Amino acid sequence: MRPRLAAISFSLCACVLISCAPGDDPLRLSVWEQMDPAQQKVLYRQLREFEQLHPGVRVETNHFETEKLRTQFQTAALAGSGPDLVYGPADQVGPFSIMGLIEPLEKYVSPESLAVFTEASLGTLEGHVYALADQVGNHLTLVYNRSYVDSPPDNTDAWLAQLQELTVDEDGDGKIDRYGLVMNLLEPFWFVPWLGGFGGWVMDENGAPTLDTPAITAAMRFMRELVLLGVVPASCDYPLADTLFMQGRAAYIINGPWSWQSYREGGIEIGLAPLPRVSETGRWPSPMTSPLGYSLNVHVPEARRELVLELLGFLTSAERVGEVSRELSALPSRHDVAQWPMIAGDPVLKASWDQLEKGRPMPVVPEMRVIWDVLRPAYQQVLAGTMDPEEAGPWMQNQALKMIEEMRR
Amino acid sequence: MRTTRNFLLFVLPAALVMVTVVAWPFVYNIWISLTNLGLYTIRDGASFIGLANYLRILSEPDLWSYLLRTLIWTAVNVFFHVVIGVALALLLNRPFRGRAIYRALLIIPWALPQYIAALSWRGMFNYEFGAFNLLLGELGLPAVPWLSHEHWAFSAAILTNIWLGFPFMMVVALGGLQSIPKEMFEAAEIDGASRWWKLRYITIPLLKPVMAPAVILGTIWTFNNLNVIWLVTNMGEPADKSHILVTYVYKAAFNYYRYGYAAAFGVVIFLILAGMTWLNWRRSQVGYEV
Repeated sequence: MRPRLAAISFSLCACVLISCAPGDDPLRLSVWEQMDPAQQKVLYRQLREFEQLHPGVRVETNHFETEKLRTQFQTAALAGSGPDLVYGPADQVGPFSIMGLIEPLEKYVSPESLAVFTEASLGTLEGHVYALADQVGNHLTLVYNRSYVDSPPDNTDAWLAQLQELTVDEDGDGKIDRYGLVMNLLEPFWFVPWLGGFGGWVMDENGAPTLDTPAITAAMRFMRELVLLGVVPASCDYPLADTLFMQGRAAYIINGPWSWQSYREGGIEIGLAPLPRVSETGRWPSPMTSPLGYSLNVHVPEARRELVLELLGFLTSAERVGEVSRELSALPSRHDVAQWPMIAGDPVLKASWDQLEKGRPMPVVPEMRVIWDVLRPAYQQVLAGTMDPEEAGPWMQNQALKMIEEMRR
Repeated sequence: MRTTRNFLLFVLPAALVMVTVVAWPFVYNIWISLTNLGLYTIRDGASFIGLANYLRILSEPDLWSYLLRTLIWTAVNVFFHVVIGVALALLLNRPFRGRAIYRALLIIPWALPQYIAALSWRGMFNYEFGAFNLLLGELGLPAVPWLSHEHWAFSAAILTNIWLGFPFMMVVALGGLQSIPKEMFEAAEIDGASRWWKLRYITIPLLKPVMAPAVILGTIWTFNNLNVIWLVTNMGEPADKSHILVTYVYKAAFNYYRYGYAAAFGVVIFLILAGMTWLNWRRSQVGYEV
């Protein structure tokens, strides 16, 4: 009786301990991602192809929403486990690399292999490459419904006038039935292009915040004017903007490459154009650009590292990057794919390139999180009319400096 | 001797699990709270800084507003959970046509994942297109800035959580009501007791031992409820003014990587909750009865 009890007890204990241990099966790879369903479909197909090329190998995937992916990967990798590859926007490279959770890839990838990637597509921090991208951009562009707009104006004065004409109460019940513009008014990612258009930016080259500038005030004032004109629904968030545009109840939307395919599939004939030049300054708005790519977990066991690197090479090969570009209307991360006629000749991708060229890379330092967190409340308060645009700059700068100091302490 | 050994062998797996998932993380959290563990120190090892994190927390001007908001959040939610839950349980405890359907419908909020419910409610609070403001408009009332004003944003989260939480109390109360012997009500009726007297002197006293642990549980869950505030107010909007303690700590830990500071805040929250639970337990004096 006793030995049996002891055996049961210890088996249970062993089960608990084994389930906590990181897997080191050399043929079982894992990828964590934050892709939307359309991109997931492409990835799953590519992974099945990889498995067919490598009999006996299984690649498992786990999907998380972007923020969740960051926290989950951090927690897992800090505990010495986590996936072999983690996929996401370049801004996660900053914290992951500082915490020592991802490997510099130049250790494993030859300079010749790295040279095929465009400069904007490499997740680089302090001279090290921490991510290989399968696409580049992630940038906001002006998207218009061709049923309402023939050709968008190229300056904000003409654009604002057009937005007012396009905002209509069709049935005369006092409620707007179609808006000139819809966009996410809650997230400062949609504000940053205009900040660039007024000649400002969020940080200097040393990573110090630059939020108390005349450009910030002017850009805030411009956004407030958009709301006051009533050409965009007040308190418009992402789902609302997306829904209204999909329903044909908005002429323009400001959105990124991840959304274009769904608009086309939804039967909307879309056109793309760069965000109009700011009339006051003559500058083009500069949306933030960033590559989306794969990083290598530092805890990948020696036994399967080679296979994981092979998977990384496979997912960022010309064929796979080309598939992502073609099927998702995403800009390719490789020079060679960008030259393909079907990519170079695609009008949507061409318009996207035009916008990308006017954008600026998103800083990958972790302090960027502080910038978002101080920009968000100030921006929302200015739009809600509870803070003056002039007050926003000094408040944001002080908050950002304080929070960065706390973060570094 | 043999019995003791067998007992220990039976207890060992559970004890090991408890030590692994409760005791060790708790002790480790206390250790982290005494260090400067953060983004820039995690790689090379954090240093021991004693009670510095605790002192910073206690001197934090926002601590008291977060604490007050958390207490309001907990008290209002638990109050309405209990009142609505018990009231509905009293109604459902009577025989009437379609009772099973009503019971099933009323449990739906509890069965829905919080994530989905919170995001759906957030949509209903939209200023222009949300169901609440459209309804207010139909009634000729002005639209409410649910998500852009700090008090309204906090109220929106409370409304959502009341809707999500009352079914639990309803189910507990219903179980309690069904365990009260019918003879007691019959005897009271013979004595000429009114409906109110029966409620006051039979139902409520006999329901109390069932509801007390549920209220304590509800208090702890609500106090620590991160999802609803985080999702309905979109991470404490506007301007971080709708945070409760746990959402603030979550942000400090996972947005700003201030692990040592957040761990210390976690210990402070634990002490507050432990104190509240102890007081509640003592006041209800049902600890030994349950």
